[in-house]
Amino acid sequence: MIPTGIHALDEMLGGGIPGNSRVLYSMEPGVNGQHFMISTLSAALKKGLTCLVILPNTTVDAFRHDAITMQGDQKTFSSDNLVFIDAIDRERIQKGAASRSAEARAWKARIQKVCQDNRIDVIFAYFDLLYEAFGLDTGLSILESARQSRKTTLILEHLNLEGAPLVDRFIHDHAFDLVLTIRSSSHPLPQFSYFTLLHTSWAPIPVRSIPFSVNEGTVVPYIPRIVVTGPERSGKSTFVAHASAAGREGIRAGVPEESANGAMDFGWLRWKNFDITLYGTPGNMGFDPHILPMLRHAMGVVLVIDATDPAMLPRANYLAGLVTKQRIPFVIAANRKDQPDVMEENEIRLALSLPKEIPLYYISATERSDVNRVLESLVDYITRISS
Amino acid sequence: MYCYKTGIEQIDSVCGGFEAGTNILILAPPMSYADQLAYALIKPLQGEYSIVLSTNERAAEVVDYFKVAGADKRFIGVIDAITKSSTPSIADTTRLMFVSSPTDLTGIGIKFSNMIETIFEGDFSEGEPGLFPPPVRFCVNSISTLLMYRRLEVLYQFLHVLTAKLKKIEGVGIYLLNSESFDEKTLSLIKQLMTCVIEVKMENNITYFRILGIRGVTGEWLRFTVTKGQVVITP
Repeated sequence: MIPTGIHALDEMLGGGIPGNSRVLYSMEPGVNGQHFMISTLSAALKKGLTCLVILPNTTVDAFRHDAITMQGDQKTFSSDNLVFIDAIDRERIQKGAASRSAEARAWKARIQKVCQDNRIDVIFAYFDLLYEAFGLDTGLSILESARQSRKTTLILEHLNLEGAPLVDRFIHDHAFDLVLTIRSSSHPLPQFSYFTLLHTSWAPIPVRSIPFSVNEGTVVPYIPRIVVTGPERSGKSTFVAHASAAGREGIRAGVPEESANGAMDFGWLRWKNFDITLYGTPGNMGFDPHILPMLRHAMGVVLVIDATDPAMLPRANYLAGLVTKQRIPFVIAANRKDQPDVMEENEIRLALSLPKEIPLYYISATERSDVNRVLESLVDYITRISS
Repeated sequence: MYCYKTGIEQIDSVCGGFEAGTNILILAPPMSYADQLAYALIKPLQGEYSIVLSTNERAAEVVDYFKVAGADKRFIGVIDAITKSSTPSIADTTRLMFVSSPTDLTGIGIKFSNMIETIFEGDFSEGEPGLFPPPVRFCVNSISTLLMYRRLEVLYQFLHVLTAKLKKIEGVGIYLLNSESFDEKTLSLIKQLMTCVIEVKMENNITYFRILGIRGVTGEWLRFTVTKGQVVITP
């Protein structure tokens, strides 16, 4: 097994990438996902494997500098087990080839020679320019040719400008063993990047999307969190309970069991390949200091209000302000739609100073379909991709 | 919606400037001072931010230009695709970021996102507050250079993502393209991504531009010069 160097990902993969596999890290433009490739390279080198890095769009020195900056590990990237084919080699190959097919042959010959001379265990290839020059089939055949004589693992990073159809071709036409896509929301804040484990050939691992941040050069996955907040007795607990696949309300820490307003609610659901944890905040104002820490790493917030109770609007307004300051996407769930004296949408929007782009839904928190509609809208909003 | 003032009376008096989310192609022959026109249009006003993706001059040169033009350099970011090829160990700062070459679309995309995120987080301008949501003027100082390194179809897809992101953050984008080096198909494909086009021409050593695609702005040729980062229309 070749570890990826990302602990949580290695656990999901059962220890890492099996030898002789073919791996694709498919990146969407603008996502800070280069750490996946660099981290895997670093882990392979630390394991004593001999690695060839093919970087047609940069030089060895620039790559090494960037890798060391990302990982903070000069020794690993200065290893004798590391060999390169870089932009200078690409230029030579291009200049020496009279035609596109001659160029492809020159690439094959060069890669085969480097692999034979150095007994390469893993090829790491930045695939963009090879794909652009030769297309998918020939581009991959250039890299595959070096694997025939030896059980070499192939790991690609590719900037995917074509979306899902291209990824499907790697899986179905070329039988890649691991395909991991790295994407982000289109919103500048909060920066929400996530990887999706789309395909593994060696184990029945379910498709799963995991948000991550990059801290000191390390990819740190975290559990997606949606916070459900609102004034006391607005229906938060009911909302969480009806949203959850396996929800449970009333997990309480240090508060009297009978005090529902001091209770934290937890629930879990699976939506669009995200395993989402729902956190319901206590309604009691005494627990307000706990709300901000709960908002950290939240991917979104549902603000539940009682649509029949104008008296709770100032408190709801305070909570909306708190969320807005954190710049976290949120939606309003106006509960008890089936009761008399439900407030008009305009009245609620005015009281909460809500811009029109913040969705407001009238719901009954006891209706699972209403609750799902709110969550669907929120998750769609968070994960919507600009392209 | 925010309007980006241009300093050009013929635009600002009609519609208040460029609307947020506008992407503008400047089509110009070589040596027609189009780069100065582009820089003048993205020079940040009070509280605004500017980002230049530089594919044909070093970050230091870009910053110097804006400094001379009287802009506050704390509000100017440069993604430099030139310097790293000769100085591989050059390190990124908050406002100056480097990619290995104009072929490196992955790097360009990441640095662009990072800079936008830093601006939105309020960490871009050394504590000096700008407006919020932050108005961002963005410039690619040569699509022509990018086209020398990457295929048209690839660049089209990449620019499609970039222009869409700029619309999303309600920024304004200016993209320079040499009108004499590319065929009609190339020009027409790139134009599809844009909201409007500014054409530049040079006759008897005098520069003119005209604006196509902004409602209410006539497409007449205007004689211009650029002085201290300001477009001056001359009779």
